[in-house]
Amino acid sequence: MIVVTGASRGIGKAICERLLSKGLEVFGLARNTSNLPFPSISCDVSSHEQIKKLVSVLKKENSKVTGLVNAAGIASMNLAVTTPPHISKKIIEINLLGTIYCCQLIAPLMMRKKQGSIINFSTIAVALGLKGESIYAASKAGVEGFSRAFAREMADFNINVNCIAPGPVDTDLLKGITAEQIAKIVSQQIIVKQYTPHAICDLVELLLDPKSKSLSGQVLHVGGV
Amino acid sequence: MQDIKHEVYLRIYNLLDDKSVKIVEDTPLLGNDSSLDSMKLVELCIELEDLAGEIGFEFDWTSEAAMSKSRSMFRNAGSLATEFINQMDASK
Repeated sequence: MIVVTGASRGIGKAICERLLSKGLEVFGLARNTSNLPFPSISCDVSSHEQIKKLVSVLKKENSKVTGLVNAAGIASMNLAVTTPPHISKKIIEINLLGTIYCCQLIAPLMMRKKQGSIINFSTIAVALGLKGESIYAASKAGVEGFSRAFAREMADFNINVNCIAPGPVDTDLLKGITAEQIAKIVSQQIIVKQYTPHAICDLVELLLDPKSKSLSGQVLHVGGV
Repeated sequence: MQDIKHEVYLRIYNLLDDKSVKIVEDTPLLGNDSSLDSMKLVELCIELEDLAGEIGFEFDWTSEAAMSKSRSMFRNAGSLATEFINQMDASK
């Protein structure tokens, strides 16, 4: 079973659909899970207690978790000086603490079996230091740092931990960003192309595949930087 | 209770590389004197989760309360066994 956070929208939803199409068992986490056509639970990833309850459910059901994809995330494209503190806090709580909590609490389910792959999400904004994305980039830089160190902690348990760092992918997260701004970001990638969620799903598939077992602690920049 | 304590000690012993170490009340689990490294300690927690599941309760080593007193909980074999038994009793 692959646990996917942010399963109701954007990249998370696309990942769930892809994994299901490949015949994999998916368990989705999202704030709103109504109408999701696969097993899911409504929860807030920034709540340690709610993730713990989820883990209890998975344990009771003897679920064999072999993968975790932390796709839940929010963004607020603002200059740091004009970002209200409650928004900064929310971005850090969901993007960084949410990823940390899910890793901390769900990884032991894989550690027991000494098998698994964890995929966290960063952003091209970290590598490029994009203007107007400082708080978002800070939260994702935290995810990258956490993932590198966590990969070392998990290596003894045969669990790989990697990050995918997409550029501007066409999802709700891009609302409010103009086509010009997107083109400017894409132009800084090695491969000058705006990718779709399908490309991200390809990488997720790769990182969940035992063939990528030699990769851990890496940040994969979609399009290259 | 002695049986449970023995089970906890046995699981600690099973994780030791040095089988000459005898597990007693004050066998340290943390620090330089411990025969377990941090990863083995995590393995031990998972083992104890399984043991708790067999007994019929949930051993919680991830709560804020457990974390905040983790140094005492993992201070030695005796303190860990005591915490395990306390959680078992609390679940009844």
